Amino acid sequence: MSEGTAAPTRSVAWFDSSLVALCLGSLAVIVAGGLIQVSFGAYSMSIAEAWQAVLDPTVLLDPQAWRAFLLGGQLPEMGNQSLIVWNIRLPRVFVAVLVGMNLAVSGSIFQAVTRNELASPFILGVSSGAGLMILLTLVLFSGLSTFLPIIAAVGGSVAFLIVYVIAWQNGTSPVRLVLAGVIVGTVFNSLQTAMFFFADNIGVVQSAIAWTTGSLTGTDWEQVRLALPWTVLAMGLALVSSRQLNVLLLGERTAKSLGMRVETVRFALSGVAVLAAAASIAVAGIVGFVGLIVPHMVRTVVGSDYKRLVVGCLFAGPALMVVADVGARLGMQLLTGASSQIPVGIVTGLVGGPYFLYLMRRQDNLGDV
Amino acid sequence: MTGNDSQLRSAVSDARDDAMLAGEQLTLGYGDTRIIDGESLAVDPGSVTALVGPNGSGKSTLLKGLADQLAPRSGSVLLDGREVSDYDAKSLAQRLGLLSQERTSPESITVEDLVYHGRYPHRGFFDPPNDDDQRAVERALDLAGCDHLRDREVGSLSGGQKQLAWIAMALAQETDVLLLDEPTTFLDLHHQLEVLEIIETLRDESDVTVVVVLHDLEQAARLADHVVALRDGEIRARGSPESVVTEDLLADVFAVDADVTWAERGPRITPLRARHDETDEEPARQPTLEQPTD
Repeated sequence: MSEGTAAPTRSVAWFDSSLVALCLGSLAVIVAGGLIQVSFGAYSMSIAEAWQAVLDPTVLLDPQAWRAFLLGGQLPEMGNQSLIVWNIRLPRVFVAVLVGMNLAVSGSIFQAVTRNELASPFILGVSSGAGLMILLTLVLFSGLSTFLPIIAAVGGSVAFLIVYVIAWQNGTSPVRLVLAGVIVGTVFNSLQTAMFFFADNIGVVQSAIAWTTGSLTGTDWEQVRLALPWTVLAMGLALVSSRQLNVLLLGERTAKSLGMRVETVRFALSGVAVLAAAASIAVAGIVGFVGLIVPHMVRTVVGSDYKRLVVGCLFAGPALMVVADVGARLGMQLLTGASSQIPVGIVTGLVGGPYFLYLMRRQDNLGDV
Repeated sequence: MTGNDSQLRSAVSDARDDAMLAGEQLTLGYGDTRIIDGESLAVDPGSVTALVGPNGSGKSTLLKGLADQLAPRSGSVLLDGREVSDYDAKSLAQRLGLLSQERTSPESITVEDLVYHGRYPHRGFFDPPNDDDQRAVERALDLAGCDHLRDREVGSLSGGQKQLAWIAMALAQETDVLLLDEPTTFLDLHHQLEVLEIIETLRDESDVTVVVVLHDLEQAARLADHVVALRDGEIRARGSPESVVTEDLLADVFAVDADVTWAERGPRITPLRARHDETDEEPARQPTLEQPTD
């Protein structure tokens, strides 16, 4: 009860055992999935060799190598195995981690902003705007395709702004925002589908499908470099905004009578969520279901306090994404023996749909945040 | 600006650091419908004012107008002589609190966490809760009598316990003026009395100015220093409970024939029959989706 002790206890007490368990469990899954990714592939090596390459001190402790990874530039000399692990297989795992946390945290923010548990990072038009720009770039303006990641991210953000403008009428409301998202999504998706008719070869169509369903094929350090700064920024902002998210959950009127400028906070938080979603689109395309399902999974374990929820999403999102990418990269090989890969978005949908069914059967009150 | 204000206040006065709230010629409404049409209302510092009236009479709308949750079409609301719309959101929320009828919260939030949200206007963006916050929360939990519920999840509480938790949140806000929208509606008798006792404590032991919407006239008369009776968005009577709660008022405002007798503890109202002669005079206001029923 004494004043000195209770306040600090309160400030760390939220990091409770269920959250710790979730984070450690997710880390274990990420490490296991990462090791599988590193060990298997066209150049096969044993688990022990893979471990050795991952922990190779000549790479791990070499500042020049890290400079090359994170800032670009000349790679130092390294062995074949180390080269394959460090330059091809590991960066793909890192990209999966970044994409997973971006999507999960983005989804959790949109679920608070729209006060709707079925919200995803793409509920306010981001995916349809990005998808349309992807198709336009691939089909009509193929000269710009080197800028595709940026164009896609910008397209998503612009679509979000259009949604906000449509929804605005002396302020917004969660319902109006979602409706405006449906309006913009419907129109842009139609245009996107129409663009497929103008594609002149199957390669362009496959590339478009890979982008619009989300794929990590061929990602390397360049994608890590592209996404990392935005991810750090968005995740940091999400973490410090958790109390705003919690108050927003008390309803607009209560939030307002507590002195929150609801419209400003709602727009700013949406902006953070769009930033995270755009960062993931730029490196992996439009990966569905992760942003919808992960906040759910985390909520069932740690409850709906956003301090815990955001931290949980930072770990659980990457876990789901890394595992799904194992399926996307190696699944076809296991099933058919063919060495082709499928877009990771197909796997997340295959995993996410049944999980949702399970949740729906188990929880009566699905839909309430 | 706001820091200066509070310094100024504390420097100038121990004599009058309590607030006064006044609505002047207020016209309030939603969309095309006017609910309140040019009414004025002044609330004395430290007093308890009860708003009474039938469903749809505009009580909640008036309360929202006073709390700056609904911008008036015309007229103004003054808190300590300054327009409420001129305060920035947080400094207004430090001085004026509204417990609306909106009750949405995640099921799994604990009572203590909910009450801590009452400290929102007192905390900066990055501030962790400090000793003041903790003291205010303890005091609010104690005053609202839900100390024993602090670790319970809100979703697991009964309706009455939930109400106490929400009142504790509003109390933790530590405002000079507290507006309560139907705090006793839908509660069992025990919890109705608990809520009324909290307001009595505020009246007797603090300087907090309270405006409360009540459905029960007897409760309003026992609790309040002033009673304001509304019908169809018009203030029909105001003053001391004795002068307002009369048989004539029940006929005029509530369209009810009743016997009113005054006993030591307040009025005793025995409703006899609903009056049908005047009820057709104006069709009942149809609330639309976004409007509350009052």
